[in-house]
Amino acid sequence: MMEDGMGKASSLKKIFGMGKGQRILVIVTFMFLPLLLLFVFTYLPFFKMFQFSFYDMKYIGKREWVGLQNYIDVFTRDDCFKALKLCFYYMAGAIVQLAIALYFATVLSFKVKGGAFFKGAMFFPSLICGIAVGFIFKFFYTRGFVLDTVLSWLGFAKESLPYWLKDTSINNFSLAATSVWKYMGQNMVLFIGAIMSVDKELYEAAMIDGANAWNKFRYIILPSIKSIVVLNLILSITGSISAFEPPYVITNGTNGTGTYFVIMDRIAHQNQKVGLASAMAIVLLGILILCTIAQKVILNVLFNDKTESYSRKALKKMRKEERLKRKEAREAARA
Amino acid sequence: MKAKKVLSAVLALATLVSMSACGTSKSSGTSGADSGSSAVPNIYDIKLGEDYKDIKADLTFLTHRTDIADTVFADYIKKFNELYPNIKITYDALTDYAEEATVRLTTDDWGDIMMIPTTVQKNELPNLFVSFGKLDDLNKVYNFNNNFAYKGNVYGIASVGNAQGIVYNKKVFEAAGVTSLPKTPDEFLDALQKIKDKTDAIPMYSNYAAGWTMGAWDAYIGGSATGDADFMNVKLPHMKNPFSKKDDMTGPYAVYYVLYEATKRGLIEDDPTTTDWEGSKGMINRGEIGCMVLGSWAIVQMQQAGDNAADIAYMPFPISVGGKQYASAGPDYCYGINKKVSTDEQIAAMLYIKWLTEKSNFAYDQGGIPIDKTQKYPDTLKAFDGIELVVDTPAPEGEETLFNDLNTASELGINSSNDKKSEILEAAMNGTKTLDQIMDEWNQKWTAAQEKYKVEIKY
Repeated sequence: MMEDGMGKASSLKKIFGMGKGQRILVIVTFMFLPLLLLFVFTYLPFFKMFQFSFYDMKYIGKREWVGLQNYIDVFTRDDCFKALKLCFYYMAGAIVQLAIALYFATVLSFKVKGGAFFKGAMFFPSLICGIAVGFIFKFFYTRGFVLDTVLSWLGFAKESLPYWLKDTSINNFSLAATSVWKYMGQNMVLFIGAIMSVDKELYEAAMIDGANAWNKFRYIILPSIKSIVVLNLILSITGSISAFEPPYVITNGTNGTGTYFVIMDRIAHQNQKVGLASAMAIVLLGILILCTIAQKVILNVLFNDKTESYSRKALKKMRKEERLKRKEAREAARA
Repeated sequence: MKAKKVLSAVLALATLVSMSACGTSKSSGTSGADSGSSAVPNIYDIKLGEDYKDIKADLTFLTHRTDIADTVFADYIKKFNELYPNIKITYDALTDYAEEATVRLTTDDWGDIMMIPTTVQKNELPNLFVSFGKLDDLNKVYNFNNNFAYKGNVYGIASVGNAQGIVYNKKVFEAAGVTSLPKTPDEFLDALQKIKDKTDAIPMYSNYAAGWTMGAWDAYIGGSATGDADFMNVKLPHMKNPFSKKDDMTGPYAVYYVLYEATKRGLIEDDPTTTDWEGSKGMINRGEIGCMVLGSWAIVQMQQAGDNAADIAYMPFPISVGGKQYASAGPDYCYGINKKVSTDEQIAAMLYIKWLTEKSNFAYDQGGIPIDKTQKYPDTLKAFDGIELVVDTPAPEGEETLFNDLNTASELGINSSNDKKSEILEAAMNGTKTLDQIMDEWNQKWTAAQEKYKVEIKY
């Protein structure tokens, strides 16, 4: 962002031929609005929430300072961390989702009959709002409705089918499946975009060397789109820790499906324990930060090959040289 | 080049101006804040159609009735405008009313009239809403004034009164051979068993997936289960272990016993997790459902859901206290007027609420108990002949917020949240806990909350 502003300012300077004071003015005016929005809608609410987490308070009425009591409660209550266990269902879902997305993306980025149609059809679910998805799946899972009917066509006896949402051993899988359905298309489109950027000549060369489809995927496509895969992985896993829509809309978080977010919502809105809910949110933030760092570290260890670190260094060097050149040019112009 | 410079300056200025405009318009909305609620008359002193004929106002009305906001209410506005043509009313119907209204209430400019959410604490009422008048005077003309009364003033007028009972389909009960209405929990469960054995209907439909239908069970633990008007607000906060089983099967335990046992014995729908509230109305109308445990407000909706309106009837909750049945009665959502809007808007809101209460016939049309004492009861409540209606007495002076405090601190959410009641059904369905275990947990939470607020145990 900073660099962007600088770039703009320097090009503006060429147009206007202004002095330093005016340049700063331009920078400030351009930055003012985005920074203000960022502050008002992101940082201010966050600091407020941080402050709330030290109070025993309801939405309206008196507040009472309780120090760290809310944080102690988060760690000692049995419902908060039990809810966090549910995120493993969604993490498993996220990994399945990425695998399917990667598969379809690979298939669809080559010439396939009706490819555009399939891309559109598979991307479509991510355009539907989460609440609507919830309602769709409520009927989808109803006894004797869509899913049961389809399965009975495939030869399953209706009586042997489980109750998708009533049975506590599978209802979390059912819910995680809805989020796989919703977000798979989005991942797929990102992957397709990345695969498009792979040089086509590489495939030809591989073909000449006698590579089959799997070899092409494993040794050409996967290494080329590694960064996108890693990014999607991080996003899906942090997303699965904060899973909210499916359990909230479909089951209301009842019957053992209350994820951390749903419990937090319940404590904040139904029980009116705003302080406790804020503390839960801060704890969740901590967990998310830890997860992200852990992922980065693990992936760095796993994928650390020398070419990348070399190219990163080279990139840095190139940038530095460029900056120097620009500086010289500027000074020359002033002189 | 100059032109570009000027343009950019103008643009920058424009953004600044537009932003500051946002700021000022917001603050001007609240400027009428303290301008004298003394100028607003008491609701019983106003003569409709004579006073304030020329008043001009623009009112926003937050309502939970998404189903009739564009039909019935639009018609009310038309009729009201014949009397007061210069008062413009806009309804804002919210689907998730209880939660959304609570959040909106934290700002000052949420509108002019709202249905006061049950989460509002009594001591906050004078800061948020306009007083309708003195409690003693209002009690002479209107029913159910206690819910939002604080220090002798009334801040909420009920929209309609509800009696608490069970909606049932007469034909289904007759087909099962249930001739007299059950009067105790066990008689009721026997009746449900007969329905299961002899008909194809689902004996009792829980509507578990909707959530709030589980919270609705709380409405029976007071008057219906004890016959004691003091139970909810006066005694419950001071009771030791109020949720324990009693030998004569009365009190809160008996109510939740019906829910637990019906679920455990398979007398509810096959898969409660995928129930459909809108669909259930037609099902009970067609005789596919035996009964549903809901307040009297539900009767009209069940009757209108199909062709068999005559089959839908209403019975009191099957608990007898000393051989006699009681039924809780109380207000539905109550109207409240925003204290932070201008006096004219407050008076206009007062006029409309008075008109709704006295002239609209809303309560009768909705099958509820009328608020205006001069109006008659609807036919649907005839099964309640000979059954004493119990209206909860208000909390004693100084304890107005005690029940709310204990309720939120214990997280039991009696009459305000659903999840604890959903857990009863889940435990019965999955066989994880017995009812006694659940009630013990509740007692512990209640006791812990009582200790937090240092409540004296009296009962």
